Amino acid sequence: MDMSLAIFYVFAVVLVFAAFRVITAKNPVHAVLYLVLSFFNSAVLWMLMKAEFLAVSLIVIYVGAVMVLFLFVVMMLDINFEKLRQSFWKFLPVAGTVAAIMLAEMVLILTHRYAKIDNVVEPSFDTASAEVLGKLIYTEYFLPFQLSAVLLLVGMVAAIALTLRKRKNTKYINPGDQIRIKREDRVRMVKMKSEPKFVADDASAGEDKPAA
Amino acid sequence: MTWTSLNPWVATPEIFLLCAVCAILLIDLFISDAKRGITYVLTLLTLGVTAALVVAGHEPQARLGFSNSFLADALSDYAKLGMILGVALVLVYGRSYAKARGLYRGEFFTLALFSLLGMMVMASAVNFLTLYVGLELMSLSIYAMVALNRDSFASTEAAMKYFVLGALASGMLLYGMSMLYGATGTLDVFAIAKAIQQGSANNLLVVFGLVFVVTGLGFKFGAVPFHMWVPDVYQGAPTPMTQLISTAPKIAVFVFTLRVLAQALEGFAPDWRGMLMILAVLSIGLGNITAIAQTNIKRMFGYSTISHMGFVLLGILVATPNGYAASFFYVMSYLLMGAAGFGVLMLLSREGFEADQIADLKGLNQRSPWFALMMLFTMFSMAGIPVFLGFFAKLSVLKEIVNMQMVWLAVVAVAFSLIGAFYYLRVVKVMYFDNPESSEPLIAGFDAKVVLSINCLLLLVLGLMPNTLMTVLIDAVQRSIIPGVH
Amino acid sequence: MDMKSIYLLIPLAPLFGALIAGLFGWLIGRRAAHCVTIAGVAVSFGLSAYVLQYLLAGGESFNGTVYTWLTVNGVDLNVGFLVDNLTAMMMCVVTFVSLMVHLYTIGYMHEDPGYQRFFSYISLFTFSMLMLVMSNNFVQLFFGWEAVGLVSYLLIGFWFKRPTATFANLKAFLVNRVGDFGFLLGIGLVLAHFGSLDYAEVFAKAPELQNATISILPGTTWSLMTVTCILLFIGAMGKSAQFPLHVWLPDSMEGPTPISALIHAATMVTAGIFMVSRMSPLFEMSETALNFVLVIGAITALFMGFLGIIQNDIKRVVAYSTLSQLGYMTVALGASAYSVAVFHLMTHAFFKALLFLAAGSVIMGMHHDQDIRNMGGLRKYMKITWITSLLGSLALIGTPFLSGFYSKDSIILAVQASTLPGAGFAYFAVVAGVFVTAFYSFRMYFLVFHGKEQWMQKDHHHAHDADAHDEDEHHHGLGPNDKPHESPWVVTLPLVLLAIPSVLIGAWAMTPMLVGDFFKDVIFVNHDLHGAMAAVGEHAEDWYHMGMHAFVTLPFWLAVAGVASAYFFYMVKPEIPAALDRFFTSIGVKKLLEEKYYMDHLYINGFAAGGRALGTVLWKVGDTLLIDGLVVNGTAKLVGLFSNLTRRIQSGYIYHYAFAMILGALLLLTIWLGGLLQVQ
Repeated sequence: MDMSLAIFYVFAVVLVFAAFRVITAKNPVHAVLYLVLSFFNSAVLWMLMKAEFLAVSLIVIYVGAVMVLFLFVVMMLDINFEKLRQSFWKFLPVAGTVAAIMLAEMVLILTHRYAKIDNVVEPSFDTASAEVLGKLIYTEYFLPFQLSAVLLLVGMVAAIALTLRKRKNTKYINPGDQIRIKREDRVRMVKMKSEPKFVADDASAGEDKPAA
Repeated sequence: MTWTSLNPWVATPEIFLLCAVCAILLIDLFISDAKRGITYVLTLLTLGVTAALVVAGHEPQARLGFSNSFLADALSDYAKLGMILGVALVLVYGRSYAKARGLYRGEFFTLALFSLLGMMVMASAVNFLTLYVGLELMSLSIYAMVALNRDSFASTEAAMKYFVLGALASGMLLYGMSMLYGATGTLDVFAIAKAIQQGSANNLLVVFGLVFVVTGLGFKFGAVPFHMWVPDVYQGAPTPMTQLISTAPKIAVFVFTLRVLAQALEGFAPDWRGMLMILAVLSIGLGNITAIAQTNIKRMFGYSTISHMGFVLLGILVATPNGYAASFFYVMSYLLMGAAGFGVLMLLSREGFEADQIADLKGLNQRSPWFALMMLFTMFSMAGIPVFLGFFAKLSVLKEIVNMQMVWLAVVAVAFSLIGAFYYLRVVKVMYFDNPESSEPLIAGFDAKVVLSINCLLLLVLGLMPNTLMTVLIDAVQRSIIPGVH
Repeated sequence: MDMKSIYLLIPLAPLFGALIAGLFGWLIGRRAAHCVTIAGVAVSFGLSAYVLQYLLAGGESFNGTVYTWLTVNGVDLNVGFLVDNLTAMMMCVVTFVSLMVHLYTIGYMHEDPGYQRFFSYISLFTFSMLMLVMSNNFVQLFFGWEAVGLVSYLLIGFWFKRPTATFANLKAFLVNRVGDFGFLLGIGLVLAHFGSLDYAEVFAKAPELQNATISILPGTTWSLMTVTCILLFIGAMGKSAQFPLHVWLPDSMEGPTPISALIHAATMVTAGIFMVSRMSPLFEMSETALNFVLVIGAITALFMGFLGIIQNDIKRVVAYSTLSQLGYMTVALGASAYSVAVFHLMTHAFFKALLFLAAGSVIMGMHHDQDIRNMGGLRKYMKITWITSLLGSLALIGTPFLSGFYSKDSIILAVQASTLPGAGFAYFAVVAGVFVTAFYSFRMYFLVFHGKEQWMQKDHHHAHDADAHDEDEHHHGLGPNDKPHESPWVVTLPLVLLAIPSVLIGAWAMTPMLVGDFFKDVIFVNHDLHGAMAAVGEHAEDWYHMGMHAFVTLPFWLAVAGVASAYFFYMVKPEIPAALDRFFTSIGVKKLLEEKYYMDHLYINGFAAGGRALGTVLWKVGDTLLIDGLVVNGTAKLVGLFSNLTRRIQSGYIYHYAFAMILGALLLLTIWLGGLLQVQ
């Protein structure tokens, strides 16, 4: 058992634990923090595979930018996660059983001696992996790379389309319209005879109350 | 990497489409709501030019490009034409509907075009990475389109379900693909096939990955048991989006399936045939039976799609070029039938009124005999009544199944189709024998009415001459998929 | 314009007219409806005449596929045309008579609310009939066959509010089903043993299969040709109303008179004759089949003529006459004189259409009274109708130099020369038939046009008001003080135009058709075995000599005797028929004839009632109890139950859905896992 294998197992166990806590943590802020932890661990695993550029960018982009944003959102929203998770515990026995069977089967197959891959391609670079990656992206993987860019564009368009809209219950007012308003638009003078004395009964009194 | 291996001209239609959609995205910003017609026309124009480019670029032999990750062959070209038609029909039929519901916005058009781009990439991609990105491009655009009507609770919920379940399915697909990569050491469709043929692949891992790939594909087809999203999304989504989901993407997924199963994993046909058989039988059975209990017609169409996709899977599992061609014919036919069905529903909808119950079709014959007749054609075609297109689609699939000595499968399919005929005929009965509940005139643009009529009449006309379309599609598949040659 | 487009245009022009009049008749009105259909048929007729002229001038006949509908197991189902002399002649006859009937209909139907519908139907019929005769394969033949049957059904029941009309069209439909069943079996045999449905290919292969046998019942071997031909002929028996499938034709007179002329006299009913002539290469290979054809034809020719004598409805007299004449044509087919049969078909089409249209004109003059006992002396009031009727009747009975004479005498000559076992009986039948034909034709003629004006008498016979639609608007028949009037020109013009070929065409066309090579390469006759054509040929060299020779032959004098006895019985001594009537009633013959040899009883009370009784039992036990009760309702309940169950699974919760997906993946994994680990 060499050193890298030991490192792999340590970080893999932490990764699985962190991922499990993401979905079981009661406090949403804790859940996000566990997610950050799991990203760190994945980054280490990538590092073990000599993909240091990816590992670094995972931390910079996801941990540094995305998760911080996420944390803000979670803190600002007032959602009772515990209520949402009630059925989680209710269905855990069934779901857990199925998950266990699935896991068992997968382990059974993937640890089978025939599942061992002989011709593993060890990455061997002369230069930094970022450079190799850059070259590949702009040559061999040009098409998927460009399409990923389109995918991000679609994400942007979709996000704007779904959020940029006039809310029905918005209280926004246009100052220009307010200034231009004339008395005639708002007040109408009506001439009428004086009414007989107002008789107040219980029902009408009830109506006068402001709606709670 | 040279200019030759890049060979970007194989993707001329896609490149044009991408440029055009970016242009429309910008132009639309400067167009007021009242002049949205410009965007509409530009979009249709883009579709037309894209189709023309596909036709113009069509060559008898297949052409590779983008470092062997993109393939323009007869199969992809015909599939692309089908998808373009499908998207165009969505826009034409959906225009009045979208207008009445505040969906008549630039994003409606651009997202539809982006999803088309994704589908076209799916049809041509021969590298798992490209295939996957194409699939996501298509899916993401459609998720957003389903959610576009933010004021509708049902739409938002449908989009949410679609998105979450779709992400799960994508995850499984990606997991399966990664297993295939591990087993063969490559992501290229033809290289994988070659590795399997030469015995250098790890068979255990291939089959393991195959299970997850089939799961992912099953989700996109809406095959049982990965179908649960279908009825809810069909019902909740605005009707044009439902039409989009049920028509063009099915062609894309069909070609995707052929690329992955028939071309890359041809050597594992016995395995995936068994898996598809389970999915197909469950889909045809459950789809047809559950459709009977529906009162919402969009939901009913959802179950109907499930059963139709079961037939498509039946054709694929024959695993011969003729079988694939029969399925290709089926998805193409279904494109026309599905578009027609939803087209009539949108014709009946108007501002503040959503025609989505079977009861909304009551007495259609008295309100508009012509469109009642058109809907009758559609229903008959979907039910597989002879001389209509749907009959020949079913027949061609069943013929291939019987040729493969799987008579019991054909018998099961026919039995459930007969049960299924009930709910189609119920729609006809409601249209012709019940009294109308409303006497509102049908509002729709002249273009939609004309195109819809042509669409429905095609179901009859193509049924009268099924050989024309069938020969073309068989030829396309036979030229593109040659067993044992990679 | 090349010939192929012309051939395409010929059937499509009437179809176009039919579609316009049928679908948009309500929109374009009556005038436009008849204009468009007449224009369609006129175009069709003009082009047909051009095609005939082109072929006569030595043009190439055409045989080719226009469109392949679909291919099933290597057999192509095509739409194709075979245009040779036979086809061209049929096309001319069909389109000409159809054109005349279209014109006539303007006058005859002008009060009817279903005016546009009627025009649409008759144009559709023209299209179907053209498709039938122009076909080059069995599938299209069958299509045309069924299509004319369908239009016939629609037209017999044109006044569908009258129970007699709906009964008659149902009867026509069902009886034709019997014939079609045989026809379809015949086509099936052809496909099974010849491997093709194309005429040319089938005929080319026929000599190889001349001695082939098939075994239908174990232990028996039957000649393939005989079985095929008889089955095909059964189809012809249905369509051409041959005994015993003739019962529908008299009842079909419930339809309006123009269609009686077009469909039930001139064209559709001759489809069987045409088909057998077309199949002559097959029929020539089976003596048995030819003999069968001969005997059936002879029975029809004679016995249907007898029934014509006792009819009092003017249209029914003509209808039985049609049956009898169809029998003559069939006899000619049986005697291998196909060209004679087709020749008679052509002449008959003209004079029988004329007689029907004249009858229609009389009916209009009589204000829709069809009983000939109420008529009389009409020659004074309806001059054109009278003259043309007389010419038609003379042609029918075979007066020398008129068209009917040449064709009918040729048939008699052919039968005389035939050596088949049934030829003796057939000869007797056709010769005796001459007398019968002359008798009933002139009985009708004298009763209608000569003698006293019977409608002026008080006691009206109210037999059969076939054309009695619009019950409220019309009074039926004339009152004692009314005067019949001649019909408008649209009615009389077709009469005149039809009278011309009725008189002339026989002399003109006989020599080329019977002796010349008009039917060379079209109709195939095995001259070594069947010498009938040779015998006819000796006489048919010259129309003048044949006409002169007639005065010393038996048939001529029999015809004269028929006319004379009709005159004597009905004009001079009307007591005699009354006395004969009483006599025949007392010995039961009258009853036999009135009941039409009890054929209807047999069918309605025997087959139909038996079938219904069997059906009722099967329905009660099989359908209601077993299928409806157990299978259908049981299945429906089960499906409904299951349907509700699966609907409940669709809970709407996203985690349920995801769970189902994972279960599905697990299922696949589990099934394939076992296999995987074992195989490895």
